[in-house]
Amino acid sequence: MNKDMDIIHRLLDGEVPEEEKREILDRMDSDPVLKKEFNELEKALCMVKNSDRLAVPESFTSDVMRRLPACRVSPVKRIGDFLFEGRILKWNMAAALATACLLIIAFAGIFQSWEKQHPVSYINASSEPTVTVKINFYAPGAKTVSVAGNFNKWKVNENALRKQDNGVWTIEIPLKPGIYNYMFVVDGKVWMTDPNAESYRDDGFGYRNAVLKVAKL
Amino acid sequence: MQAIEEYLVIKQCMDGNAEAYAILVERYKGMVYNIAYRMLGDAEAANDIAQESFISAYVGLKDFKRSAKFSSWLCSIAINKCRDYLRSKKDTVSIDEIAEASAAGTATPEDAACNRQMAQGIQTALNELPEDYCEAIVLKHIEGLDYKEMEDILGVSANVLKVRTHRGREMLKKLLKEGGVIDE
Repeated sequence: MNKDMDIIHRLLDGEVPEEEKREILDRMDSDPVLKKEFNELEKALCMVKNSDRLAVPESFTSDVMRRLPACRVSPVKRIGDFLFEGRILKWNMAAALATACLLIIAFAGIFQSWEKQHPVSYINASSEPTVTVKINFYAPGAKTVSVAGNFNKWKVNENALRKQDNGVWTIEIPLKPGIYNYMFVVDGKVWMTDPNAESYRDDGFGYRNAVLKVAKL
Repeated sequence: MQAIEEYLVIKQCMDGNAEAYAILVERYKGMVYNIAYRMLGDAEAANDIAQESFISAYVGLKDFKRSAKFSSWLCSIAINKCRDYLRSKKDTVSIDEIAEASAAGTATPEDAACNRQMAQGIQTALNELPEDYCEAIVLKHIEGLDYKEMEDILGVSANVLKVRTHRGREMLKKLLKEGGVIDE
């Protein structure tokens, strides 16, 4: 009987190959006890499976969101992780040139904003000056390209790049001095790492964020 | 595709964009709430436990491994919370309470009485099963998971889970017969 019960449970688990299944069903036809056992178990499981699911209270999501702790990771820990996390930086000539270009553009932005005393270069009440950073990405086949990073809370639609005739997408973003992680979002769904970034940082999920350092004034 | 999308949502949450978490709550609230209800037999407690499960998962997002499945990880949090609740709760849930909660899910007025009685009988039988068997039956036959997913959630080998499921089925059938839900 134990062996028979094993077969019944394998049938209920859907683990019996078709050819063997036919053989077992034939055997059940000649063994009323076995057949009754199988039918009763199948009926019990069918009832459990089809019993009504409870509707989730309407306020469930808003209740959870209201109860979420305000700040999960302390800024001190974030800074500590960043400072003490082991990392290896690999340099090549292309990366060095890209860094040099970025710094030139950044300093040009500072000079321009100082010269014109343009009010747009100041954001928030902190009055800390911003630096206009130009980011380029070559993607001739893309329909849209945006940049998401910790400077815009990884929002995919916040900073869209403009397409140039040569297939290069570009954007100028005013940023406060600091170190930023970012990735490009192509056609609203495909995330890509900037091949020309000055350095990279693993995000802990198997992807690499590009790292952008904006120099202090 | 879903895993990549979830990873991006998790990434946004970890970078301080808490609003993104609502996407995950909306996606899995039905699963978590119903597992908790089936294990506890109490709609109000299920609501509390399900909410706490989502909050614990949010707080622990930094410990979530990319290689894991978010829904499995969330499920294991919910089941652990249900276990803790059951252990801390001394009084058994009254049949009236179960019937009242079960009636909330019924569809048409004609079927209401029949459905209520059946739902009550099924829930009573589920809550009479040993905790381990109840978990296995809920995940396998109500949530429709396979043994590999159950293994990830419960941290127990698939072979042990098969034995629990098989024994749980036989016990459930016996309880449903005794309760008159299925004919002798």
